[in-house]
Amino acid sequence: MSITVNGKTIEHIKKETISDLLKRMHYTFPLIIVKINGKLIKKKDYNETVILDKSEVKVIHLISGG
Amino acid sequence: MNLKQLETIKQQSQKKFDSYKASLHVCTGTACVANHSFSLIETLKKELKKRDLEKEILIVPTGCNGFCEQGPIMVVQPDGIFYQKLNEKDIGDIIEQHLINGKPVKRLFYKHPTKKTPIEQMKDIPFFGKQQLLAMRHRGQIDPEQINDYIRMGGYQTAYNVLSKKKAEEVIQTVTKSGIRGRGGGGFPTGLKWNSCRDAVKKTGNIPYVICNADEGDPGCFADRSIIEADPHSVIEGLIIGAYAIGAHEGFVYIRKEYPLALKRLQKAIQQARDQNILGKNILETNFDFDITIHRGAGAFVCGESTALMASLEGKPGEPHAKYVHSTEQGYKNMPTVLNNVETWANVPLILQKGSDWFANIGTGDVTDNAWGGSTGTKVFSLVGDVRNTGLVEVPMGITLREIIYDIGGGIPKDKKFKGVQTGGPSGGVLPESKLDLPVDFDSLSDAGSMMGSGGMVVMDEDTCMVQLAKYFIDFLKEESCGKCTPCREGLTAMSEILAKISEGKGTDEDIALLEEYGETMKVASLCGLGQTAANPVLSTITYFRDEYEAHIKDKTCPAGQCKPLVTYIIDPEKCTGCTLCARNCPTNCITGEAKQVHRINQDECIKCGTCKTVCNFDAVEVN
Amino acid sequence: MTEEQKITVTIDGKEVSVDKDTTILSAANSIDIFIPTLCHSELVEPYSACRLCLVEIDNGRKKRLVTSCNYPIRKPITVKTKSERVKKHRKNILEMMLARWPNVKIIKDMAAFHGIKTPRYTSPLQDPQENACVLCGLCVRACEEDIWESALNFANRGPEREVMMGYGENIPQCEGCETCMSICPTHAIDMDKEDPNNPFDADLMRKAGMKLTREMVLLDDSQCRMRKVGTAHLTEIMDEYDLLPVQNYRFGSHTETKNIASDVFLKNYLTQGKPDGCWQGCTMACAKTADAFTLKTGPYKGDQVVVDGPEYETVGGCANMGIFDPEFVLEFNFYCDTYGLDTISTSTGMSFYMEMFEYGILNKERCGGLDLQFGNSDAALTFMHRMAAGDKDEFIQVASKGIRRVKDWLIKKGWGDKQIIEDCGMESKGLEYSEYVTKESLAQQGGYGMTLKGPQHDEAWLIFMDMVNNQIPTFQDKAEALHYFPMWRTWFGLNGLCKLPWNDVEPENNAETDEPAKVPGHVQNYVDYQNGMTGGNVDKEGLILQSERAYNWQRAMNVWMGRGTRNDDWIPYRSMGPVTKKEYESRKDRYDTQFVEQLGFTKQEVEKMSIEEKIQKLYEYRQNRYQKLMDAVYYRRGWTPNGIPTPQKMKQLGFSDKKMLSMLQKKIDQDQEKGLNSWGGIYGDDEQPPTDKDQYWLEW
Repeated sequence: MSITVNGKTIEHIKKETISDLLKRMHYTFPLIIVKINGKLIKKKDYNETVILDKSEVKVIHLISGG
Repeated sequence: MNLKQLETIKQQSQKKFDSYKASLHVCTGTACVANHSFSLIETLKKELKKRDLEKEILIVPTGCNGFCEQGPIMVVQPDGIFYQKLNEKDIGDIIEQHLINGKPVKRLFYKHPTKKTPIEQMKDIPFFGKQQLLAMRHRGQIDPEQINDYIRMGGYQTAYNVLSKKKAEEVIQTVTKSGIRGRGGGGFPTGLKWNSCRDAVKKTGNIPYVICNADEGDPGCFADRSIIEADPHSVIEGLIIGAYAIGAHEGFVYIRKEYPLALKRLQKAIQQARDQNILGKNILETNFDFDITIHRGAGAFVCGESTALMASLEGKPGEPHAKYVHSTEQGYKNMPTVLNNVETWANVPLILQKGSDWFANIGTGDVTDNAWGGSTGTKVFSLVGDVRNTGLVEVPMGITLREIIYDIGGGIPKDKKFKGVQTGGPSGGVLPESKLDLPVDFDSLSDAGSMMGSGGMVVMDEDTCMVQLAKYFIDFLKEESCGKCTPCREGLTAMSEILAKISEGKGTDEDIALLEEYGETMKVASLCGLGQTAANPVLSTITYFRDEYEAHIKDKTCPAGQCKPLVTYIIDPEKCTGCTLCARNCPTNCITGEAKQVHRINQDECIKCGTCKTVCNFDAVEVN
Repeated sequence: MTEEQKITVTIDGKEVSVDKDTTILSAANSIDIFIPTLCHSELVEPYSACRLCLVEIDNGRKKRLVTSCNYPIRKPITVKTKSERVKKHRKNILEMMLARWPNVKIIKDMAAFHGIKTPRYTSPLQDPQENACVLCGLCVRACEEDIWESALNFANRGPEREVMMGYGENIPQCEGCETCMSICPTHAIDMDKEDPNNPFDADLMRKAGMKLTREMVLLDDSQCRMRKVGTAHLTEIMDEYDLLPVQNYRFGSHTETKNIASDVFLKNYLTQGKPDGCWQGCTMACAKTADAFTLKTGPYKGDQVVVDGPEYETVGGCANMGIFDPEFVLEFNFYCDTYGLDTISTSTGMSFYMEMFEYGILNKERCGGLDLQFGNSDAALTFMHRMAAGDKDEFIQVASKGIRRVKDWLIKKGWGDKQIIEDCGMESKGLEYSEYVTKESLAQQGGYGMTLKGPQHDEAWLIFMDMVNNQIPTFQDKAEALHYFPMWRTWFGLNGLCKLPWNDVEPENNAETDEPAKVPGHVQNYVDYQNGMTGGNVDKEGLILQSERAYNWQRAMNVWMGRGTRNDDWIPYRSMGPVTKKEYESRKDRYDTQFVEQLGFTKQEVEKMSIEEKIQKLYEYRQNRYQKLMDAVYYRRGWTPNGIPTPQKMKQLGFSDKKMLSMLQKKIDQDQEKGLNSWGGIYGDDEQPPTDKDQYWLEW
């Protein structure tokens, strides 16, 4: 049971939501875009969207720099 | 402070109160204060001290007693003796004759208007006869600046019961089932309002607020002022319960700047409540936090409108905005907000104490299945104008206008004819004699073209010109309009122009139709309640007094003799005795005549002030 | 998963499906149904004051009139925009407006269109001017919502209502941006002076600026918080992602970073609490100051001063020196400003000296008595004060010229291992590195190394795109990014513009665009800016071309002066990988895994290797990758394998200067003879260099 996050394969955790995944990956930056299997997920749905096994997750950080 | 301590204070206060031989309840509502009731109290204190009676006789400065026409008022308890129109010279007599020698001072009693007999007991006075006190339940009994007095009457026990034993949903249900509708004029079922706020809180997780609207801008209306001056804690207790019901922890009282006495008493009451842990953190040792901030208005009638009030509270200009999304969802700082009127809040503790059924049984209609199905409870009215007994009354909904004006109000002074009664302030309408038997409730009044409003009731006699009256209210609204939206700002200007023309005898046949047309546009197209109801004075007077308008336009006359350009003052040569009283009092010296000769008014100089008519003892001045 | 349901409404018989809370006016416009308005504009929030946009809605139970500009659609209602009721009241409203403003063109036109000629009453407020103010409030809203100055507002109420600046005076908050003038529908507002910048199309620029300001107003708080803390918000983020330079870039995070996180400054030191822009009118306003800060050292010891900062780089630089004291950060910031020192160069320099001190290459004797250990804030400040005072100590004299000179000096003195010195001193082309740990991002190594000026992130900042997002996995991808971003980013400097409005705030829908990292909506702002200012007709690609020309010309100048070759794009190994055992051990799992995943070793083989072996193998692997990156980048940029811009590329860019072209050709010919025109990377069996063709540029 695995998923990919930004191309990297990691363990799939049952019932893990996007919010949970971001916590697991320590992705704390606020300006991010999350796409699952190419579909954009809106920020307000992070708490409720569950990631299924074999999903391709992209967490794009839009970070500006100093 | 917990329930036990509350009980203890109640008992101790009652004990202390009972230890006095008698208590003198002196009215210190603003009207009686204007009639020097404070100095009456000072004199009383001095005189009692002189006679060493301080430990036996208690002075209780109370809020408004209601019978403002007869102020200053003092009620002696436990006898229930009602003294009125007092001045300092009377104090000695009261103390000597009544308090020491047991003989009440009859000359200071209220005299029956027709029978002229002196009435000793307050309850026997017709003014108080048909009233039922809910919001004003502590009328004339407690000192508003002593929280212990409020507790002595059982105050804050209901709040404690609610906070410690009831669920928020229960509270909302009780209020809904009671059928109480907003006393500020909107008449929206209060329970429904609280419920939608709670729903919004649950949906969004946002923190709500409660607000008490004490802006009371209607000219001639002082119900809210009097409630705060007399019993500020009833409002505070109501706010605590309301805040608990929706989950708010901060409340505001928006009080108009022009109410210094009410403000002072409210500030004191809030501070005393805080000192007793009835406001603040862990109220009455429950785990509910709530506190109240007072915000003063700055002289704008439009800030009585809820969205403008909230804008003002946020530090922005007092301008309303669209209410397509209700304030219960997005109100103060875009958070769910419950805003209610002073009188509504004052009723809340009573409803929770006595139950929804008890409240619903007072008033009219049936609210069992439909919160809009009736008008339950009572309403406080400030009865003013051409009526004998002006003052503050609280009556059950459903009582007729006739009962209020004649049985309570004592009818029209100087035996003049009743012409109309205005309810609802500038947003309401004038109802004629044919409507006197209308029951006073939300729906009957608005169906007739007026509205309940916040409680102003202005009685007008035959000497009132309805065109002038309409213009008075339109001009008031024109100055108070925030000016944001076209139909209100320009519509009021247009109406003011047209009414001025009519009252100057320059009106045309199309003017009435234009007023009606613009009135409708203002009603449906204005942004807020001020604009939407602004045309009511005009539209209702056109409905019920159309002939008066037509007289101004077609005949160029003012039937009530008020519109100066249209009236002429003439001395009747058959009645004039040449006493020269009119000539001597005329401010423009336009009356000529020798002593004992018929006098003449020079029409070119006459400013139609009416002084000659007022001073003439022979009824020789006619108004055409 | 919650899907937003669309709501279908019927407007004048036509159906349209919209998202919840869409206004009726928006919905109507989307199906080409026109509703008249006066106080409405797409650039500001709806106001519903004029009431012209009234429509009749029917929710199935009752009908009523509502203003379409701000009525939120939440149920499937039926809308009529021209019912008899609507027409009647709209006419009356127009009649009232005409009575007050009989000569204002837009009102006259609308009234005439609705059949109104003469109002049926005379208004005592009649204003006969053609450019009368019609109280629409567009100027007020624009100044508040899109310029964020609120310089003008309504005063008085009812018939006295009018628009003015505070107390009827010209107040300094008014920047003269003319936004109110441009949005006013009746030309009621005038400027008494012409814009001295004489823009070609001010409106084009203005709209871009208003859009940006609106984004700042609505989104900054939930995005980068520039107005609250400025760039210092990056400190805690870099630490979180293991990218904060600690102890001369040896490590990427520290347990004490929380002491210098942005909230510490916001709560305790940034006393103004107001955004502080570099120039009046900047709404990003990310500069911060700490007022009344008492200095503890130096010539102004004991004075209360205003400290302008701190920016992220300053904070990062202090972490680099192993110092996590916010008061040091402020003192350091102040004295760098006072002495005219760049905080980056100073802190990166000192970090290097501190590491050398740790290895005994420098010591108290050699450092003029300074105890330059990591974390020694006193020593750091003393060093700066002595340097500024012109102290004649040899070390201080050399260190005042930066890392490159110190490296040469140490090597000349024979103190320490040359390799360690070269690899630990974080400079390239003589410029000190700025405060990001690039060890795990090949793209950023290129971003720092393959620049014109040295390792300053002005040209490219690709760490997240590369390391975290994994959006540029191949060499080609990286080369493409190392083409676009440096070209785009240097464009700002060429035009004298700040780059922060490009991506330190983003449009709400940026996530849904094709290339969100480029923030295309904001690139368009700059296109509009330039076209609006100059009257030109450039597009997004055109801006890149402008940059490319300047960039390649500069590279040619470098070549002419004897630099600008592959060798000059060298970077110290500290920026590429672990130099020391301590560094390897701090990321052991990550590096060991890389041996398996990228270098093709088995787990057992890795376990058998010593640390020194692993460091060496990793070194070779990463150096080779850097060389391969250079190959790809040079090829993409149109340069030779030695990094020389080809005359063919220069001609493509539009250059025809014979002297420059022949100079380049000469250099290329010389390189050809020396065999330098071949790729620098070593390619395996399944790998390809950018091209097999020899002297590939001849075909361009």
